[in-house]
Amino acid sequence: MIYTVKSPALLIIGIIMLVWGGLNKSGTVDGMQSYLQKSAYGDHMKVKEKFDAESRVAIEMATAENKPAPEMKMPGSKFDHAKADQAQLSNIFGAAFVLIGLFTMAWKPKQGNLDYFTSVVPGVAYILLIAFIVRWGLDPIFANWGKAVKEAGILSWDFAKILNLNYVVLGIVIGMLIVNVFKIPAWAANGVRTARFFLKSGVILLGTLYSAAELAQLGGLSVILIGIFVLGSVGVVLFMGKRMKLPNSMTAVLSAGMGVCGVSATVAASPVVQAKAEEIAYTIGTILIFGVGCMFLFPTVGHILNMGPVQFGAWAGTGILNSAQVAGAALAFDPHGIETLKVAEIFNITRVLFLPIIVLWLAAWYVKHEEGAEKVNLAKVVVAKFPVFVLGFIAMFALSSLGTFAPAGHYQGKYFSSSEIKEDKLLKGKETRSLEGELTRLSAAEGTQALSKYLVDKTVVLEGHKVTSNETLKALSDLIANKKLSTRQQGNILKSLGKMEGFDAVAKGSIDKAEKAATHDSKTIKAYRNWIAWLFAFGLIGLGMQITGKALKQAGGAPLIIGSVVGTAKAVGSLIVVLMFVKEFV
Amino acid sequence: MSAPKFERGTSLSIFVSDRREDFTALIFAFIIAFGVMLTT
Repeated sequence: MIYTVKSPALLIIGIIMLVWGGLNKSGTVDGMQSYLQKSAYGDHMKVKEKFDAESRVAIEMATAENKPAPEMKMPGSKFDHAKADQAQLSNIFGAAFVLIGLFTMAWKPKQGNLDYFTSVVPGVAYILLIAFIVRWGLDPIFANWGKAVKEAGILSWDFAKILNLNYVVLGIVIGMLIVNVFKIPAWAANGVRTARFFLKSGVILLGTLYSAAELAQLGGLSVILIGIFVLGSVGVVLFMGKRMKLPNSMTAVLSAGMGVCGVSATVAASPVVQAKAEEIAYTIGTILIFGVGCMFLFPTVGHILNMGPVQFGAWAGTGILNSAQVAGAALAFDPHGIETLKVAEIFNITRVLFLPIIVLWLAAWYVKHEEGAEKVNLAKVVVAKFPVFVLGFIAMFALSSLGTFAPAGHYQGKYFSSSEIKEDKLLKGKETRSLEGELTRLSAAEGTQALSKYLVDKTVVLEGHKVTSNETLKALSDLIANKKLSTRQQGNILKSLGKMEGFDAVAKGSIDKAEKAATHDSKTIKAYRNWIAWLFAFGLIGLGMQITGKALKQAGGAPLIIGSVVGTAKAVGSLIVVLMFVKEFV
Repeated sequence: MSAPKFERGTSLSIFVSDRREDFTALIFAFIIAFGVMLTT
């Protein structure tokens, strides 16, 4: 079979990307970009204003001293970096696609590996182009519209935020539209099948963002929560399947899908219970239709209930069935941070780790209920079907826990460093004076008494011990003396102090400024997050392209009823448990 | 996915098996991880 389809599409996509890269580099689309990247553009204008003022002073000084005007270069702003990133990505991929596009047009394909892997490229380019449009265009446009509609008073809420119209949801919706309305073009069909591979790569790479300390905090909780809901779901599906007189193999495969991790669990359990192809299809259809609903509904409920990243991650990782949909919901809830995704994936991975137990259970159940069933080698099935990418995630996590990728303190994406604070970020006279005023007030007998009462009432605890008023006053006087924070601990103590009733607003602002100055972005972690976001964006657009009307229709009937009842019970039950027991501690 | 039938892989993957896909994803992810580590 020859896979390469002769089409100028790849060449055209490459040219479009190169043009976009060029337009960004030359500044031709700055007007459009200033709308799309409003926040970064605001930062750009501040940097420019400061630079213009400094330039004027430098020129005036040089003129007064009869010297030539100094040559000054404006420092790069977030806006400049964002445009440069877009130009770089567009140019790299654009050039590669143009070259491969020209090659495929000129080449007479012969059956073999070269034909097979070359034919994958147009589909990859197709999804990547959609990912560019969604991440750089549609996502910020909807975010701007949401804010504008709220600011104009047309709606009292930000519809883009509440309905999660970000690159994750928009990507999946566009994928679904393409496959159901326009169909996937023949030249892209082979490459679209890479979506799951990129999703798996994203999950493995996610391991770089965890530290052992974080997992230790969540581990016990995730095992208990997942254990209850996975085993409970499997048990309820087996019970209901029997009551509704579904075939044993159908019931067993549906229970694995509903209980563990969606499609992979279904596939892994199917040989154990000798499931037929249509039963696997029904189960996957049920998981997809229910999962798609959850993926859209969960983030909205999460925002309405004002859930934090840990709570939402725990809920999504427990309540949603499919690994990709867990990632989709977590990213939809928190598209620009990665905390929710990290927590959700820990719960998701914990759930996948239950797979061998479930497979053993189902095998025993099936053999008991199906007389004459052929004997199946359980160990062989587990070894053959256990998803290796889960082990990859754990290996990556082990390496990152050893500090291979970044120092231990960098894993939140931001880290504390007093020594890296720049001169111009130190506290100024007015700011230190406001802090001195508060130090004098709190050092007096009445102030110290109020401070001690506040620390006791609010149970301000740091690293396992209750913070004392002496520690607080020492942190404040150190900040005044050094004009910057010396340690993260002192920063945390002062942050609590800033929330004390009657604390001077200017002094609170000074603490916030000092905290911001000592907090730096980890370039490595930022780069990993960016890679993961792209891999997930790509994979989820491809996931959308797999949700056909046919697959959705297949979910009809008894499996859908059982699936919906169990899925809803699991979602609601895990929500209640998460709200009651999961606290925000990451 | 209403894709045409493929002689290699499945309708969801270009790889001949899930195991092959997993191992390739593993290698790809490690290349990115160490690439980022060495370049930032």
